[in-house]
Amino acid sequence: MRLIMQTFITAALAIAALAHPAAVAAQLRVVTTTTDLAALTREVGGDRVQVDALARGYQDPHFVEAKPSFILLVNRADLLVVVGREMEIGWLPPLVTNSRNAKIQPGAAGYLDASLNVRILEIPTGQITRAMGDVHPSGNPHYWLDPDNGRRIAQAIRDKLSELSPNDRAYFAQRHTDFDRRLTEAQQRWDAALAPHKGTKIVTYHRSWPNFADRFGLTVIGYVEPKPGIPASTSHLIELIAEMKRQQVTIIMVEPYFDKKTPDSIARETGAIVLEMPPSVGGVPEATDYIKLFDYDVNLLVAAVKKATGK
Amino acid sequence: MDWAILPFLAAPFAASLILTGIHAYLGIHVVERGVIFVDLSLAQIAALGAILAILLPFTGGDPHDPGVYWMSLGFTFIGAAVFSFVHGRRARIPQEAIIGISYAVASALAVVMLSKTTSEAEHLKDMLVGNILGVTWPKALNTAFLYGAIGVFHYLFRRTFLAISLDRERAAADGVPVRLWDFLFYASFGFVVTSSVSIAGVLLVFCYLIVPSVAAMMFADRIGPRLAIGWTMGTVVSILGIYFSVVLDLPTGAAIVCTFGLVLIGLALVRPLFVRIGARR
Repeated sequence: MRLIMQTFITAALAIAALAHPAAVAAQLRVVTTTTDLAALTREVGGDRVQVDALARGYQDPHFVEAKPSFILLVNRADLLVVVGREMEIGWLPPLVTNSRNAKIQPGAAGYLDASLNVRILEIPTGQITRAMGDVHPSGNPHYWLDPDNGRRIAQAIRDKLSELSPNDRAYFAQRHTDFDRRLTEAQQRWDAALAPHKGTKIVTYHRSWPNFADRFGLTVIGYVEPKPGIPASTSHLIELIAEMKRQQVTIIMVEPYFDKKTPDSIARETGAIVLEMPPSVGGVPEATDYIKLFDYDVNLLVAAVKKATGK
Repeated sequence: MDWAILPFLAAPFAASLILTGIHAYLGIHVVERGVIFVDLSLAQIAALGAILAILLPFTGGDPHDPGVYWMSLGFTFIGAAVFSFVHGRRARIPQEAIIGISYAVASALAVVMLSKTTSEAEHLKDMLVGNILGVTWPKALNTAFLYGAIGVFHYLFRRTFLAISLDRERAAADGVPVRLWDFLFYASFGFVVTSSVSIAGVLLVFCYLIVPSVAAMMFADRIGPRLAIGWTMGTVVSILGIYFSVVLDLPTGAAIVCTFGLVLIGLALVRPLFVRIGARR
């Protein structure tokens, strides 16, 4: 038992030493809530920043279980980048309050809400009523799935990093320009791949893909489970299946962290293909950065549409 | 281990000691009465009240509105009244069955109501269930004060409460108004459980309640030693669980729950030694 304990302690010390080498003292410590924001921060910040994401790419960013290491990360952060739009409302606020880090409190210089200068969809106008279904009062928080929004997030990160570390302004600007150019090239590639399939009708599990669909000309005609965690009603599923048959929908996009039982049974009824699409960097091993995430998703989708339509 | 984490763990650790203090005691009553799942049921009924309050216009949909708290407390008292009333009849239906049914229906009602809401429904359930890592000092002190008051109440009337928990029929025969005392027990118990769940989550509260008193029953018969064993176990498991959570970087609540399970298995394994020594004496 004592030996096991010592092994644990030694291992933990080794990991702690690896995670915080002495050389990083001069770097900005950036903590992001999601891997996508971490990937974008890495693109801009390069070796002048040390970036840690709290949620893993394969986790649902709505639901993240706080761990002791999160407190230390947030406590030591110079900058906290959040998705905002109430995405992290279930788990982040107590973590930020308990971090005892004045620098990264909402409103402080070290707090960046990445959603402030991006294009947000599904912002309800006027009075919210129950008839509208599941509506986020501040709009859909899955906005990073539009590459143009990725571009805007990278800009905001560049400006924030330059503000916090003015000496590296030129370095961040140069890295941002480089990323922006690579993203533009990649976007031409993705647009070309999806252009023949414009107007493809899809069903998604949760409302995670409006920005992606909007960017690439897909039409989302319905959702498997409009509210995560609340099983869809039978009548909803029957209507969805009927609607999919009527409109000949062949693709059901599901985030990796949702149960595939319901999508699979809908697929059996309709002959559609269930696509497991990672919405975040790290959701699959291939999606190691922001551009590779879209590479993966676009390739997966194009292959599925080709298979379904025979084109 | 990164020692810098220690100051952040002080308030959660204090909270875990407060939970140990009151729940190891209430657990003895719960286990003696054979109403093991009453805390899950009352917590769910309280959550139902909170969700209803959030959906009603007077709170404006704010989970931190005082109205939400009072509504959930009111629901807890209704649950307490139901449980004390049902027990009143010497019926063939076991009380656990009623408790289980209340749990299932209250959970399902919450889901049904959430499915009719407009926004942010998915987070409401999370907001009602706390994470022990997020406990702040004001919250811990506030809870200590409240539970202290409940503790004093139970201490003053300990003979009556114990008499009913240990042998309900005899207490009733002795002229104790058992239904009233049952209501007082379930109401104070529901009050504690509801606050505890908002601090530490359902699973952890259940463990603090049941595991120490079960462990204590393996080694002692009288209430005094059982309390002592329960409190010791709760404290040791809290320390160990938080230690594992830091060293292995696990969610703290879940780490403590697993440690409870491990320690209970360990105690069950060493129990034969104690029993044999006891028998030889």
